[in-house]
Amino acid sequence: MNNSLIDRLDESIDARLAGRASAAFAEFHELLWVVDELRHLPRPAFHAALRADILRTADRRTSLPLRSEPASPVSVAKPRGTDYESIIPPLFASGSGSLPIRGSHLAVSFALHVVALALVAASGWWMVENRTVVRTRVAQLIPGSSDYPLPIAPGKIGGGGGGGDQDKMAASRGAAPRFAAEQLTPPAVVVRNENPKLVAEPTLIGPPDVILSPSDKYGDPMAAVLAPPSNGTGSRGGIGSGSAGGVGSGTGAGLGAGEGGGLGGGVYTVGGGVSAPRPIFDPDPEYSDEARKAKFQGNVELLAVIGPDGRPRDLRVTRSLGMGLDQKALDAVWKWRFAPAMKDGHAVAVQVSIEVAFRLY
Amino acid sequence: MKATEHDADERRLVEAAQRDPHRFAGLYEANFRRVYAYVARRVGSREEAEDLTAEVFHQALAGLGRFEWQGTPFVAWLLGIASHLLAHRWQRATTQPEVLSDDLELAAVNEQAERQALFAQLLDRLPPDQRRVLEGRFFEQRSIRELAQELRRSEGAVKQLQFRALENLRNHVRDRHE
Repeated sequence: MNNSLIDRLDESIDARLAGRASAAFAEFHELLWVVDELRHLPRPAFHAALRADILRTADRRTSLPLRSEPASPVSVAKPRGTDYESIIPPLFASGSGSLPIRGSHLAVSFALHVVALALVAASGWWMVENRTVVRTRVAQLIPGSSDYPLPIAPGKIGGGGGGGDQDKMAASRGAAPRFAAEQLTPPAVVVRNENPKLVAEPTLIGPPDVILSPSDKYGDPMAAVLAPPSNGTGSRGGIGSGSAGGVGSGTGAGLGAGEGGGLGGGVYTVGGGVSAPRPIFDPDPEYSDEARKAKFQGNVELLAVIGPDGRPRDLRVTRSLGMGLDQKALDAVWKWRFAPAMKDGHAVAVQVSIEVAFRLY
Repeated sequence: MKATEHDADERRLVEAAQRDPHRFAGLYEANFRRVYAYVARRVGSREEAEDLTAEVFHQALAGLGRFEWQGTPFVAWLLGIASHLLAHRWQRATTQPEVLSDDLELAAVNEQAERQALFAQLLDRLPPDQRRVLEGRFFEQRSIRELAQELRRSEGAVKQLQFRALENLRNHVRDRHE
C-alpha cells in the first residue's frame, strides 16, 4: 500500500478517535473494522485499576455483611441503584451507598433524635405551664381625691391658702368660712381666745361670689377626721397644715393647696361640668423581671394631671406596689395619650387618679 | 459447559459474593468485558465508557444484597444497571430502563465481549513496536507525531507500523474464522 493510502487510513483513524465520521474506503474497509474493535477495547490498565478499586470497596464493606432482601420480579433486569442512592444510602437496607451502615450508629442516631424530640416537647410544656402573659390595663379613672369638692369657677381658678396653730393633731373636718375681699380674722376650730375685744366674722380671702357650703362648724373640708377638733399643724392662724391664716395646706388666706388667697390648687377635677379624660393610646406597661419571677400581682395607683393637649404630667405614685412595678407603671403612663377633659366645650387640664393593674395569666 | 451448569456456577458465585464482598471479584472478572463492550458502544469516548463501567460495578457491589436469583443471567442485571446509568447520563426522563433480558441482545453483548478478549490476545502477539503504536493510538489516544517522538522514528515510519499492525490483526482474525 502506498504512502498516500496509509495517510488516508491515518486520517480516518484520527476521525474515528475524535468521534467524527470518516470516509469509507474500500481499500481498508476491514482495517477500519479492526480500528473500531480497538477503539472499544478496554485498556488493560483500566481493567486492573477497577478490579483493585472494587476490592478496596469490598474491604470497606466486609464489616457489614450484605443482606439478602427479596427483590421484585423486575429487579433482575431493572437496577435499583441510581446516582441518588449512591449518594444517599438507604437507612435500613444495606443499600447501594458506599458508606458502611452500623447498628451502633443507628442506635445512637435514634437515641439522639428521641432526646431532641423530648427536649422540644418538654420546652413546649414548660412554656405552657409557666407562661407569663402580662395583662396590664387601666382599671379605672377616678376623680382626684386631693382636691376640694368645690364649685368650679368660670375661669381657671388659682391660689389657695392654709393655716393652723401648730397643733399636734391634724385639722378636723368642717366647713370653710365664706370668701371675702379682706380677712379680719382667720377661721379656727378651736378658739383660743374665748373673749376677744373685737368680734369679727372669720373669712377667707377669695372671690365673694363663690359660695361655699354654709356651716357654723368650721374645719378643713378635706380633712380625714371629724374629731377631735383641731386647727391643724400649720402656723400663723387658720385651719390645716399650711400657713398664713387660710384653710388647707397652702400658703395664704384662701382655701386649698395654692397660695396667696382664693380657691384652688390650679387644675380642675372631674365632675361639676368637667368631663373625664379618655385614654386613646394606653400601651400596657412591662412587667418587671423581679415581679414576674415572684409571680407578683396587684395594682399601682397614680395621680396625674392630664393637660389640654392630652399628655399626662405631674405623675406621682399614690399607691405603691413595689418590685419595680411602680416605675414600670410610671414609664408606661408617661407614654399614654388622652382625649382631654372638657369644660364648656374647651379642653382643660384635670387631675385624675389612674389605677394600673398588673396581672399574670 | 451446559447452560444449567453455568447458571448453577454463576448462582453460587453470586451467593458467595453476597456473603463475602471480596468474592465479587470473580463476578467482576466474568462480566467486565461484556459490561465494557455494552457501554463502550453507546458512549462517545473511552473516558466516558470507563466512568460508566466503573459505576456499574460499584453500584452492583453496593446493591448485591438485593439481587435475587431468578434464572436470568447475572450479566443481565449488570447491563440493566448500565442501561439505567446511560439513560440517566443522557438525561432521558425515563422510568423504564432498557430491559436486557432479550436473548438476542445478550448474545450480541457476549459476542462483543468475545471479540474483545480475542483482540486483547492478538495484541499481545504483535511485535512490540507495532503493539506500542496501537496502544499509544487507541488506549492513550496519542497522535502520530507524539508517538514518532517517543519511538524516535519519522511520522511516516510510525504510520507504516500502525498500518502493518492493523493488517496483522485483521489477518489473525481471518485465520481464526477460517
